[in-house]
Amino acid sequence: MRAQLAASSAIFHRDLRVFLSYRSRLYSQAISTVASLAVFYYLSRLLSVKTFASSSSYFAFVVVGIVIIAVVQSTLVLGGSVRGELVAGTFERVILSPFGAVRGAMSMMIFPTVHAFVMGAWTLLVASVFFGLHLRWATLPLAIPVGVLAAVTFSAIALLITALVIVFKQAPGMGLLIVGITFVSGLYFPTELLPGWIRWVSAVQPFSPAVNLLRHLLVGLPMSTSPWLALGKLLAFSCVLFPLGAWVLARGVSMGQRRGTIIEY
Amino acid sequence: MILDGVELALDRGSLNWVGGANGIGKTTLLRICAGLITPDSGAVELDGLHPHRHRARYQARVGFLSAGDRGLYARLTVRQHLELWGRLSLLPRDRFRSTVERMISRLHLEELADRRMDRLSMGQRQRVRFAMAFLHEPDLVLLDEPLNSLDRSGVDLLLGCLASVTSRGGAALWTSPSAPDVVPFDTRRVLEQGRLARKGGR
Repeated sequence: MRAQLAASSAIFHRDLRVFLSYRSRLYSQAISTVASLAVFYYLSRLLSVKTFASSSSYFAFVVVGIVIIAVVQSTLVLGGSVRGELVAGTFERVILSPFGAVRGAMSMMIFPTVHAFVMGAWTLLVASVFFGLHLRWATLPLAIPVGVLAAVTFSAIALLITALVIVFKQAPGMGLLIVGITFVSGLYFPTELLPGWIRWVSAVQPFSPAVNLLRHLLVGLPMSTSPWLALGKLLAFSCVLFPLGAWVLARGVSMGQRRGTIIEY
Repeated sequence: MILDGVELALDRGSLNWVGGANGIGKTTLLRICAGLITPDSGAVELDGLHPHRHRARYQARVGFLSAGDRGLYARLTVRQHLELWGRLSLLPRDRFRSTVERMISRLHLEELADRRMDRLSMGQRQRVRFAMAFLHEPDLVLLDEPLNSLDRSGVDLLLGCLASVTSRGGAALWTSPSAPDVVPFDTRRVLEQGRLARKGGR
């Protein structure tokens, strides 16, 4: 078990080292966060939406949305990362290691997720210091375990997509999927604004409970349902989806080895 | 169908060559032996271990070197590559550091150890790839056209690594279009129309 954790940690360190080797990337990401917050800050001043009591509450709403979409994207990049590694021949080494392709792919999600958490903390800090966002300090620490649980749930979807990449060498519609998630989970606007016929989708996916719960814990926005119910939903989604994602990925690797698609790059 | 009715048994302590024309299936044969791809039918075994049913234990005993210069991270150093591969090979904690340093020394990579991969020549990269293939002391080494970009000293280093495998009872399977004269193969076979034909020994 200790050797498996060390292997997982080695993949995290590999990704961290590669990331840090591009020195300007960190600074440019930090600056674009400030720019993105400024855009939404002034938009929130322009607009008056009856769903929100004030422009500050819309700003708080959207800031948490920005943080969460970064976490969602950090997990969903896995398919693209694995494809890149297959092209470079580096994933072949992971497949041929005792650690294995499935654990290797799962470990490849750790660095992007930690990075998204760090950038999320930076986003909240900038929004608080420069744009007057009021953080709810009493419940803010609880957002960390809930965020981790949400990341685990989102990563299950990334495992399913990665299986497609290994078997079919592509996973079309990733951009559309992310837009769809932002749409139905209310990352940038409340789902109450959606037409009735599509609103039911918000109730049957793991993103909405995660978004609502994190908004409640981070900035104190009220929830339409009990926080415990949202937490229960998120937990249930992660318990079902993550083992399913891992199983499908294992099947995908096996199928890729039978069909030969795993080496055709 | 690329391979058909191929039968190949490797003796302990042997160095084996399989040749043949381009596209005849040499790489496919190695990939099947490595457990990278699964054949439509047939089986591969290493001391009773199956590449998929006993995946982790099988992979712990196999070293694979693919053709070309793929499988390296441009932004990582030589030592970081070996440390990563050592961890993925699940080397025990007490042996990890000494194994990495021993391999750096064996392949004369001391001066390059902290240099990034994108700053190495092709021949130097090939030596790093050897270090990764031999790092976990495999019992079976599979080499696909390993002399790519190597100078004479690089060839000698490779032969040294192979000698250490065969001396402890392991075996090596080497594929290339023609058999290099500098390598003392114990068996030589050629792939023709999907089948292996023996071409004599040393």
